[in-house]
Amino acid sequence: MSDLLQHFESPREVTAAAQRLRERALDLELTPSQVIDILERWGESLRGPKVDAIPGVAFLRLWLRRGTLEPIVVRELGIEGLNGEWREERTARLRAYPLGVIGHWPAGNIEIQPLLSLCCALLGGNACLVRVPAGLVVQTRALLEKLCELADGRALLERICIASFEHERADLQCAMAAAVDGAMIWGGAEATTQIRALPFPPWARLAVFGPRLSVAAMDGASWSGGPDRENWCRRLARDVWQFDQQACSSPQALFLERCAGGDLPEFAATLAAAFEEENRLHPRESIHPALTSAICLARASWLLDDSAHRALFPATPDWTLLLGAGSTVPAPTQGRTLSVLLVEDLLEPIARFDGMVQTLGLAVGDDAKEAALTQAAGRNGVDRIVKLGRMHVFGSPWDGADLVRPMVRLVRHVSASTD
Amino acid sequence: MNAALAAGIEEQIDAVLAAPTFSLEPAAHQARLLALLQSELTYAADRNERLRQYFDAWPSDYGAAESVAELPYLPVRAFKATPPLLLVGKEAIIRTLASSATTGQTPSRVALDAPTSRRMVKGVAAIASDFIGPRRRPYLVIDTAETLAAGGQLGARAAAIQGLRPFATEIVCCLSGDGAGEPRIDESRLADFAAKWGKAEVLAYGFTSVIWEHLVKPLCKQGIRLQMPNIRVLHSGGWKRLQDQAVTREAFAAGVAEVFGCATDRVLDFYGLVENVGVIYPDCAYGYKHVPAFAAVIVRDPLTLRPVDAGQQGLVQVCSVLPTSFPGFLVLTDDIAEVIRYDGCACGRRGISFRFVKRVPQAEIRGCGNIEMLRQRPPAV
Repeated sequence: MSDLLQHFESPREVTAAAQRLRERALDLELTPSQVIDILERWGESLRGPKVDAIPGVAFLRLWLRRGTLEPIVVRELGIEGLNGEWREERTARLRAYPLGVIGHWPAGNIEIQPLLSLCCALLGGNACLVRVPAGLVVQTRALLEKLCELADGRALLERICIASFEHERADLQCAMAAAVDGAMIWGGAEATTQIRALPFPPWARLAVFGPRLSVAAMDGASWSGGPDRENWCRRLARDVWQFDQQACSSPQALFLERCAGGDLPEFAATLAAAFEEENRLHPRESIHPALTSAICLARASWLLDDSAHRALFPATPDWTLLLGAGSTVPAPTQGRTLSVLLVEDLLEPIARFDGMVQTLGLAVGDDAKEAALTQAAGRNGVDRIVKLGRMHVFGSPWDGADLVRPMVRLVRHVSASTD
Repeated sequence: MNAALAAGIEEQIDAVLAAPTFSLEPAAHQARLLALLQSELTYAADRNERLRQYFDAWPSDYGAAESVAELPYLPVRAFKATPPLLLVGKEAIIRTLASSATTGQTPSRVALDAPTSRRMVKGVAAIASDFIGPRRRPYLVIDTAETLAAGGQLGARAAAIQGLRPFATEIVCCLSGDGAGEPRIDESRLADFAAKWGKAEVLAYGFTSVIWEHLVKPLCKQGIRLQMPNIRVLHSGGWKRLQDQAVTREAFAAGVAEVFGCATDRVLDFYGLVENVGVIYPDCAYGYKHVPAFAAVIVRDPLTLRPVDAGQQGLVQVCSVLPTSFPGFLVLTDDIAEVIRYDGCACGRRGISFRFVKRVPQAEIRGCGNIEMLRQRPPAV
């Protein structure tokens, strides 16, 4: 493990680590199928007191199964790509080769993101230099220790270096960028903009995920009453709670389609009960004071801005429902603060989406309606349209882009004997 | 509006202002404030529909509250709203105070009518006199005359300077400038003031960063030392600029004491914000801040928003019964403070003692869902 987790102090150390990774990756070629074998065993091993408490581990266990990963590889690289074989294409043949060393800059808000990111690059046969935010070092270490315990874990561990250094160390950030052949960058607006501006080599390929926000929507039948309403509210609460509403796939607003018999205060009470229950099951252990301030401000501003606005919230900053009408996505507050907005037609807010919306979580009973909403959302920049309760299910494509394919090169071979 | 309620509030505020400033028994102080603040919230709800809506949405009924901590509070940034939050007609406003927002930020603005303005002066005077004595004395303003000459809208610097006017026999501003560029020290005016008042009791006030940048640093550079051992230097305002230069509170006090030729305990830091009109929080001899009879401070745990125990830190809520022209009764600030104890400071002042820790750092990483910067992009042409 000591080789795996490195605290860097100088640019030279970063460059040397990248060089070692490149050499090890060149030493031994691993096909995606071989990588999946090891990842699956790693996933099975992710149990125990140190890892069970890490948010997202249950999902990671499922995601690392062959049943999840193989379809991703097959869709992105083709069935031949699974075993590192050439694919015939008319007079030529194609094969995926790794880019080399991939630099990973995961966001600080999702505990399992460093591992999700590096797994995508490993599936492409790459080595990984991962700069883990200070707040995630302990969790990342605990998860990788399980890989160390596997008999064949070494084949992957040799391709991984977890880099720990302060975010402000521009010299180390620059050295890391200069030493990699590709990058997977995750995070908010400020972070991704800064990282994209680093001095990557001209051949490096960058895959940037985020910043985005997500939105939920319910048709009249789903929210106005009936047996499903409580169930939808529970699913929405789960989507809000996961990652403390700070992920790009976290719903920040819920649009409700007006309908006869729809009673907003009654629905809000049901949703509040679901939020309260989710909070009981998953209470916060800490909060940044700036987020508390932002939550208090959101509550006050919403109610002081418009006499038609209403809100529900407890005395704590645990959750907030801001109730009103309108088809514009309000500026997100995060911190489990959900804007609930009535609209005449769900197509109205979707028509206003501008590419900022990543995921649309739907509670819609009618298939034709869902198809129409999906079509409109896809045309207006939304990359994922899913059922409420599944907004965070990580898969390929993500943000409208493949996860493995961007970190490989497709090499084309035209035989010398072909005329 | 219930005129009887307004009259009753006015009467109660005057009574609280007339009470001993720092010697009320804490439980009695809280009970008195609670009743008055509940009346003021009803007064505010009657006069501002949206405030009533906010109070209605509060998770508990403020009328049934058993402590000040249960009452609905406004976050300090709610005072950045345009137009400013008002409880009186525009025609009653005689002055607007604006906070010292940093570049690019919107300042808070609070509107004062004549009664609120009068109480503001009384409040500051009551607090300051407890620390520096009630006597009038020459007043050295470490700022420019232009800062003081503001019209209807008064900045935080000018408001603080004006707040100490009741202690002045004469006022001398020792910086010059037209407001366009950086102010410069007016050495001859300062030398004249020092020569005239020498060892007399003198009051001086300036913004912390202004004193350091435009008085201490230039005088030190030129090797100028004044002989004013009985001066009282009060200062307030943000420390950020000084922290950027790694100037500690101790270094600041030592620098000021050196140029004035006084002891460091003659340099008094106070905390205050324009939204909390009429209340300032100077450090006592033990370095802690205290709350006067007409105000309260609650330090809230950011996780629960409940008051913290002694020895713990949290978000500062300031409370004041003084304003009736704007809803500045209960204000949750963006500052962090530590409660030292809830009563029994060795300085003898009763009630809570606390120390300011820092502003809440706003540079927070909020992950891949943080689109804040992109939302600021200009509209497409």
